[in-house]
Amino acid sequence: MLCNECQELISEYIDGAVELGEQVKVERHLADCEPCRAVRDDFLQIVHFSHQLPEHAPATALWPRIRAGVAELQPRLWSRPIRWWAGLRTLNFNLSVPQIAAGAAALVIVISIGVIVTQRENRSFQPIDGKVQQADVVPLSNVDVQQLEKRINSLSRSVEERKNSWDPELRTTFERNLYYIDQSLTECRHQLKDNPADDVSQELMLNAYREKVRLLEGFEKF
Amino acid sequence: MASNTLTLTMTVASEPAQSASDLELARAAAAGSSAAFEKLYEQHHRRVYSLCLRMLGNTSQAEDLTQEVFLQVYKKIGSFRGESAFTTWLHRLTVNQVLMHFRRRGVKLEHTSEEGDFANVVETPLQSTRRISMVDRLALEKAISQLPPGYRTAFVLHDVEGYEHEEIAKMLGVTIGTSKSQLHKARMRLRELLTKKIAATGE
Repeated sequence: MLCNECQELISEYIDGAVELGEQVKVERHLADCEPCRAVRDDFLQIVHFSHQLPEHAPATALWPRIRAGVAELQPRLWSRPIRWWAGLRTLNFNLSVPQIAAGAAALVIVISIGVIVTQRENRSFQPIDGKVQQADVVPLSNVDVQQLEKRINSLSRSVEERKNSWDPELRTTFERNLYYIDQSLTECRHQLKDNPADDVSQELMLNAYREKVRLLEGFEKF
Repeated sequence: MASNTLTLTMTVASEPAQSASDLELARAAAAGSSAAFEKLYEQHHRRVYSLCLRMLGNTSQAEDLTQEVFLQVYKKIGSFRGESAFTTWLHRLTVNQVLMHFRRRGVKLEHTSEEGDFANVVETPLQSTRRISMVDRLALEKAISQLPPGYRTAFVLHDVEGYEHEEIAKMLGVTIGTSKSQLHKARMRLRELLTKKIAATGE
């Protein structure tokens, strides 16, 4: 083997990527050729040092630039409800079912919270001997929770399987709405942990569970 | 003897284990949390910037690309499903941004005749491992920045970042043979640059 032939193979040789026959030839040549051994050793050093190169930090001014760039992107994302509103005004709808489902879920949660908070405020003004209308407050039993959680788990598995085929925008919409519902559920759990008899939190939790089911059912079709 | 040395040098930069906090932060950022996005930046901006810097060889361009990468992260974070490590996803996104940057500027990543081939190296034993090992990391970084873009890309992706030739070939749209050839020539050129540096400093 000549030096130029050996050196053509030296990179692959140090990477362990030459065939056995060629490896033997290279090693025989290296045993007798100091210049080619020098090339091999230098390559080994270069590779070795390259694996250990330190990380560098950009200028501290970079983060404010990125933050400003993100702020510029946000109005575009926020402009979507305005387009929806424009569609409503002109009766020219161009909404996907997930958008409707997500919007409806968010709207119902907001309305539920509003209604329950109003109930809670009104209740504080009820006379002690007055008959509080409890019929519209649905108590949350363990059976309810188990059934809803079972349904949610089933739907979540189905949605997880379908998520791979979603486009990023659809996934973002879904995850954002799911995040809000889960936050609501977490807050209710904390409230009920402190006061298990809090019927308002029970109802809020029941509504959040139902909204989660509706959200998952809406996105299960995509 | 040689095989023992090879075993040591074939160690590729290992992928950090999936960080639970990365996944949680990514999900929170996807749900609109700016604090989570900022935390992701804090944790990963050095790695992104370093990769951009090594591939571009220019601090100003590397900062611009780092900015572009994180804006893309902000737009695409909802598509990160957690099936791979966040660092892997971010790393691939960064490489893609740099390659797009090269394409926009018409930078040729394949070998061009003006880059020239290397003559067969015949030299004295003075140019030995002992001398190269005196080269500090800064000199190696500088030498990498002096490589032609095609050589530099193959070298950074393979030797610094640990990608395989198959992956590099797919990313660059070249054959595996081209990727191997670019890497070999990059190492040769680095050796040449580092040797000149040693000769110049008289070490």
